Amino acid sequence: MLILNAVINGLLFGGVLALMAFGMNLMFGVVQIVHLAYGQFIMVGLYLVYLLTVLYHVPLLLSCVLAIIAIALLSVLCYYSVVKPLLKAPPINQLLALAGLWIVLENACLAFFGATYKGVQVVLPVLHVGEIYIAASNLIGFGVGLITLGLLYLFLNKTYTGVAIRAVAQDTEVSGVMGINSRTIYLITFVVGGALAGVTAACFVPVYAVHPHFGSAFTLLAFIIVILGGMGNLIGGFIGAFIIGVVTSIGSTLLNPEIGQIIALLICLLIIILRPQGLLGVRART
Amino acid sequence: MLRIENLCSGYGGFEVLQNISLEMGAGETVAVLGPNGAGKSTLLKVISGLLKPTSGKIYFEGRRIDGKPSHEIVEMGISLVPEGGRLFPELTVYNNLLVGAYNKRTRRHFKETLEEVFSLFPIIKERQNQIAGLMSGGERQMVAIARALMSRPKLLMLDEPSSGLAPKIVASIFEFVKEIKERGYSVLMVEQTVKKAVGLADRVYLLESGRMVFSGDQTSFLNNPKIKSSYLGI
Ligand SMILES: Nc1ncnc2c1ncn2[C@@H]1O[C@H](COP(=O)(O)OP(=O)(O)OP(=O)(O)O)[C@@H](O)[C@H]1O
Ligand SMILES: [Mg+2]
Repeated sequence: MLILNAVINGLLFGGVLALMAFGMNLMFGVVQIVHLAYGQFIMVGLYLVYLLTVLYHVPLLLSCVLAIIAIALLSVLCYYSVVKPLLKAPPINQLLALAGLWIVLENACLAFFGATYKGVQVVLPVLHVGEIYIAASNLIGFGVGLITLGLLYLFLNKTYTGVAIRAVAQDTEVSGVMGINSRTIYLITFVVGGALAGVTAACFVPVYAVHPHFGSAFTLLAFIIVILGGMGNLIGGFIGAFIIGVVTSIGSTLLNPEIGQIIALLICLLIIILRPQGLLGVRART
Repeated sequence: MLRIENLCSGYGGFEVLQNISLEMGAGETVAVLGPNGAGKSTLLKVISGLLKPTSGKIYFEGRRIDGKPSHEIVEMGISLVPEGGRLFPELTVYNNLLVGAYNKRTRRHFKETLEEVFSLFPIIKERQNQIAGLMSGGERQMVAIARALMSRPKLLMLDEPSSGLAPKIVASIFEFVKEIKERGYSVLMVEQTVKKAVGLADRVYLLESGRMVFSGDQTSFLNNPKIKSSYLGI
């Protein structure tokens, strides 16, 4: 019964993880960069919600919406200041620059908010059906995650801009010949990716208290999921998120949260060794 | 319509095109022939803005286009069918055509252009929901041409539309090119298959290791003794 509970809550949590990984995956697929500061964006989002609700008494939902917009703007700033100047640079330079942004954001939060845990007190019930206990916060995260992913699916398949984003991800050169300015698409991708980090942060509000090192665990987790599903493979990432959600949940329930993280990392290592292209990835594009 | 003057270009210091000049009028079909590695694709890449020239000028309808980014060049009415078609493999045929009409000039005419293209390629209409990467080589080439037409080009450039296809399919591809030509498009075609391409062309250019070694009309090409021996095998 304990395990069944863990599986169900893990699956529910997987919905938020899928959303989180989607943002990183999209930016990798379209712009070809690994967004190492992605978890730090989520962290800043959580701090913003804390700042607005606790210090300025803005209603919680409104704070979440404002935080999502702010993170999307932060992402635009990141695009112009860090990513765009390095678009043609070797990947290692891009990685180092984004790792730099990671450190900057961590220390900015440390300086501004201090080293202690900050959180918004949201009391959500734990629902139970028979012996199955489900945290309402997980249920909300799951719902928001799936709805957002559904909207993203429609956006990427049914709108001109969405289809253009996929075209750039599949063949940047040819999409240029079709009249697509890839720089504009990169910018839009950063807006979407940033907004997704913001929505992830909003889903995390009732679950976590935030501290300056909060982001690194989630940059890592998003990266693990992306690798698991195959880099740039959005459906693979979706499946990977649920796998990681369940595994970490079982690990945390039976042993402790750190073990959950370790198991996730081990899975990631195994995938890199045995199937480097990811579960659904293709080995190389021909 | 298109005038190229003393064009040089290459890849990172390695010069491929040397002093290329070419001229074509509106409604004309021009074939650029040449062996592997002659620089045919490179020439089309420079015209479509994927590659910058190191020197020389390109005019399209009197306006200079060399060095402009490719998304601006398609806006002016030049469309490229890349070598091998290069469809977006994970998009449906319909979405490939949608992307073909992405530029501002043609986006609002998407529906009517789609009908025109379907009238030219009725088979594509039936296949529009198929994933492009799963189609056969011949079908992909056809969709690639259709996608290029979606941008309502004045000049259509084809990079070896027949490469890697069975003779029967090649024949039907050239039928389509003929029909496109008859509909009044200007066509700049790059080919190795000499016979078919020359048959459609008003002017023929011959490119050899980055230099234009011949230009003239069909008959002077076919009757040139040097070309006869080395290309036509007569
Ligand atoms: N991306 C590239 N980087 C460096 N060199 C290149 C690149 N593309 C082509 N080349 C070189 O430029 C020269 C001309 O190539 P190009 O592709 O234009 O030839 P082509 O006439 O189209 O040949 P084919 O008939 O095989 O398509 C070749 O020597 C080739 O090796
Ligand atoms: Mg070529």
